[in-house]
Amino acid sequence: MQALRTAATGMAAQQLNVEVISNNIANMNTVAFKRQRAEFQDLLYQTMEQPGAQSSDQGNIVPTGVQVGAGVKAGTVYRIGTQGSLTRTDNKFDLAINGQGFFQVLTPSGDTAYTRAGNFAINDQGQMVTQDGYLIQPAITIPAGATDVSISQAGQVQVTTAGSPTPTVVGTLELSTFMNEAGLSAQGSNLLKETAASGPPTNGTPGTNGVGVLVQGYTEASNVDPVSEITALIVAQRAYEMNSKVISTADSMLGVANQVKS
Amino acid sequence: MDNSLYVGLSKQIVLQRQMDIIANNIANSDTAGFKVESLAVAEDPHAPAFTLGGPAPVKFVMPNGVLRDFGQGALRKTDSPFDVAIEGQGFFKVNSPQGERYTRDGRFRMDETGRLTTANGSAVLDDGGGEISLSPEKGQVTISPDGTISQGTERIGKLGVYTFDNLSTLEKVGDNLMQNTSNQAATPATGARLRQGMLESSNVNPIVEITRMIEVSRAYESMAKMMDSQADLSTQAVQQLGRAA
Repeated sequence: MQALRTAATGMAAQQLNVEVISNNIANMNTVAFKRQRAEFQDLLYQTMEQPGAQSSDQGNIVPTGVQVGAGVKAGTVYRIGTQGSLTRTDNKFDLAINGQGFFQVLTPSGDTAYTRAGNFAINDQGQMVTQDGYLIQPAITIPAGATDVSISQAGQVQVTTAGSPTPTVVGTLELSTFMNEAGLSAQGSNLLKETAASGPPTNGTPGTNGVGVLVQGYTEASNVDPVSEITALIVAQRAYEMNSKVISTADSMLGVANQVKS
Repeated sequence: MDNSLYVGLSKQIVLQRQMDIIANNIANSDTAGFKVESLAVAEDPHAPAFTLGGPAPVKFVMPNGVLRDFGQGALRKTDSPFDVAIEGQGFFKVNSPQGERYTRDGRFRMDETGRLTTANGSAVLDDGGGEISLSPEKGQVTISPDGTISQGTERIGKLGVYTFDNLSTLEKVGDNLMQNTSNQAATPATGARLRQGMLESSNVNPIVEITRMIEVSRAYESMAKMMDSQADLSTQAVQQLGRAA
């Protein structure tokens, strides 16, 4: 009975849905986390009578065919890249991106990864690094003895040193944009990697050509909306229950068929 | 005399198919733009109830077509800028590898070259049948209710929304896509309005589907019961006729 297998695809899809929702809720307080959504598509249809087929030599056509679907599949898990709200931290190495773009991070393997999590720190050599100690690209080194660091909206990093009245520019941060941000592949630790689907990065100065601006002393909150996640969770749970109901009904029908006297 | 067995069997086959369709509706209750289906049944052959001078014809139950309810599904807010829901009649046209297809699933995105595509990477077509290209540099994407796409203040194009005089000849091909199987041409849908940042849910009504499922399951049991009685009759007939001889 096809209904058994169809309902099984429905249960598998809702299971994935719950997994994605629980990951969103778990990362509600992760800096710059972007919520994800499992997207479903109907599976192939078995055509038993073709709609539009000729039903006579006079050119009459079958108005409605008989097509029975085989269930549902998870098409993709899509990352929704809307802006998260900015949270004030007053930490001078916290940077939020307001608008499009990603920071570039040099991973230990030598590849470039991308992140919007701007909760940076300084390592023992004065270099600006992520919370995992990975270097930010282009590299910014804060000289020893700097008393204050100021990062402009356009990414210019200026330091004030003791005894010098004028701040000195030690580097400029760049942001990368992609044609298809949703095509980046998540690596964990708030890092994303370029893929064929995302297209190559375009590096730009913050505030130009549609690239977002930097806001010092703020971090970007996740864009997870708890209320809509909980609602989605309820919907997923009920849909899961309904699919299991289909399985038990189909099973009892088969049971009835088995009891017919021969 | 065994005719009633075959009539019962024809009904059970139809009930199983109905169950398959209900299972598919429930499995897709969370699929964007999915349209609920039901099985139409008919008696076959189409003969008068009473034939003068002859035995009454034996009639069977046959599936007669799948009816698709193209009614509006509820719109839900997602705030994703590339989600577009159609309010009213109409379909988006997409260019799939197999040819032009129609869909009400408006979960679009940009691909690596900036084209507006579906989740499967098929290009979404504009009102003239061409592809739509966006550029992240031009800023915020706005889609107006009539389908006009603009980025910043620049007009990029207009999403095509098409409809057909007769929707029943559309064939579902999976991936939320439908194929036009007749020679009628798609015409621009005038009454449809687009909503950006929203998605159309499926129009599956869970309560109706569960109720139908109970009906199907009980009808299946009745048929089994009838076939049981028929078998009893046959047994009795053989035993009693055997004794008389």
